[in-house]
Amino acid sequence: MLNIQDLHAGVDNKEILKGLNLEIKPGEMHAVMGRNGSGKSTLSNVITGREGFHISKGNIEYKGQSIIEWSPEKRALAGLFMSFQYPVVMPGVNNTYFLKAALNAKLKHHGKQELDAAGFLKLIKEKLTEVDMDTSYLQRAVNEGFSGGEKKRNEILQMLTLEPELAILDETDSGLDIDALKIIADGVNRYRNKERSFLVITHYQRLLKYIEPDIVHVLIDGKFVKSGGKELAIELEEKGYSWLES
Amino acid sequence: MNISSFQTEFNKIMGRDYFTNHVKPIRAQAFNNFLEEGLPNKNWEDWRHTDLKPIKEIDFRLSEISDAPAHELDITEFGLDDIHTIVIYNGHYQESMSSIPNGVRLISLSEYGEQKGWRFNEQKDSPFDLLNTAFMDSGFCLSVDKGVQIESPIRILFISSSENKIMVSPRVYIELEESSSVTFVEQHEGNSKEYLLNSSLIMGIKRNSRMCHIRIQNNSGNTFNIGNIHVHQDKESHYSFYQFAYGSKIGRLNLFTNLNGKGAECFLNGLALTCDHQHLDNHIITNHNAPNCTSSQNFKSLLNDSSSGVFNGRTVVSKGAEKTDSNQSNKNILLSKGSLMNSNPQLEIYADDVKCSHGSTTGALDRDAIFYIQSRGIDMTSAKALLVRGFVSEMIESISNKYIKQYVISKFDSWLNENTI
Repeated sequence: MLNIQDLHAGVDNKEILKGLNLEIKPGEMHAVMGRNGSGKSTLSNVITGREGFHISKGNIEYKGQSIIEWSPEKRALAGLFMSFQYPVVMPGVNNTYFLKAALNAKLKHHGKQELDAAGFLKLIKEKLTEVDMDTSYLQRAVNEGFSGGEKKRNEILQMLTLEPELAILDETDSGLDIDALKIIADGVNRYRNKERSFLVITHYQRLLKYIEPDIVHVLIDGKFVKSGGKELAIELEEKGYSWLES
Repeated sequence: MNISSFQTEFNKIMGRDYFTNHVKPIRAQAFNNFLEEGLPNKNWEDWRHTDLKPIKEIDFRLSEISDAPAHELDITEFGLDDIHTIVIYNGHYQESMSSIPNGVRLISLSEYGEQKGWRFNEQKDSPFDLLNTAFMDSGFCLSVDKGVQIESPIRILFISSSENKIMVSPRVYIELEESSSVTFVEQHEGNSKEYLLNSSLIMGIKRNSRMCHIRIQNNSGNTFNIGNIHVHQDKESHYSFYQFAYGSKIGRLNLFTNLNGKGAECFLNGLALTCDHQHLDNHIITNHNAPNCTSSQNFKSLLNDSSSGVFNGRTVVSKGAEKTDSNQSNKNILLSKGSLMNSNPQLEIYADDVKCSHGSTTGALDRDAIFYIQSRGIDMTSAKALLVRGFVSEMIESISNKYIKQYVISKFDSWLNENTI
């Protein structure tokens, strides 16, 4: 699904990722753990194609194709999705309008029939119950006046609606209380299947109690210094990161 | 247009006899006052960011009978054709094409002058008001009687269509008697090459009456649109104003609202869309002259290419205007590197116990938001359009008349389609 080879990337002239390798197979849930400044956000930004991040060496392949020259929307249409650490507030842009436009862009891209207003409404109402949000959402502007928990649930709602094959969850647990965390974890777990892959980027082991990863990677100074099973996350929680630093 | 050209045209209008002789001294007084002041230049504080040089360079002439349409016009091309309309073509009232809703009275400026004993409420706030008084041509008064609610909107459609460089100076009085209401559309259209419109609209809104005023400024590319609007509000009256301006080379709105009676309220909104070398200037003065009044100024601009804009908003809370509640907001998006916005929200407060706020933001579209939308599979152009629509939607959505709202949305969509953002 995703294959990252010897990736060197950064912002301006500063190299942040220094030779990162990662292979995610269909159906796998990978977790990347690391401290602030280790390069976690850079990794999610370069995979999704945010401007301002430069790749100086290496490659990112998605389903066998190099995507590093692709626009963010081309990546999204191909099945990539990111749940943002800081979802953007867009005053005046209605949730329904936005999400319908996004879904129809994807349907159109895949040569499928676009949804009309009624069809979309039926779909979105089903998805809303999955993340425990009420229909007042449909009239509101994107993330405007949303609490931290609502913003993150909105990200998961968008994921459930757009049905990506590879979803990056970037610090999705930050700022969430335990109830919101469970709702989000339930949504993600229901969405998991043999074809869909995940990359969960997190600071803490907390989220991984609810979303069990297959593989955990520890990111220090732009490189994976250790990879292992879910028990590695527990070990990190107990011992911190310093034992892994050279 | 230099002073001697103004003098030539002034002599012409003084020679016309279709107004009674009562008007002549009023014109002469105004013209003399104008001559003393001259046309504004950039040394005038209120005109600092608007260069009138292009107007000064063209010698406009008065509109003649020959500038009136030779045959019946098709006004459906200007949209809103279900609305009762008063058509003013190159400054000439087109009676055969005009209709007014039941309950509205339309009288000529001469008749109105007679009724008022020719004691006009002189407007001196801007030199263009003086020019309007000196040159006023198409003039009339619309009035709504006490207690009458006019359900269907009424429009004044100003059409400019001429190869010639004409100057028109419409003078319109609108009077709402106690407890009446009306929705009034002021629309500027046409395909003139060079044209100077300098209108003065004077609104009297009596106690407990309501007016919604929608101004659509869509004059053609090389024209100049100066709109002077004076609103005088009595106790517990309501005035809401929406301007959608996307026409003209230079457009200047001088909007003066005077809250003279306790509990009056005015909500002033404007959206300016500019491209090429257009320059649209909004000069908005709200005077709180009585206690317990509420006002807002909410102006937005979208600026593309090498266009520029001005928001100069001032809210003045006079001594004794306690419990004033006022808000000023100016938000602008620069869609191009070459565009420029001058924003200057001001508050002058001479009363205690008031609630006043103001704010202004100008910047490019939010890059994080663009990326967020792109990351959901929407291309960059559509992402920008989505944000721009979001920026204007709140204002457009607040128009209560659905028909007019739909029209404004369609005009906004066309503008967006024609502009690469």
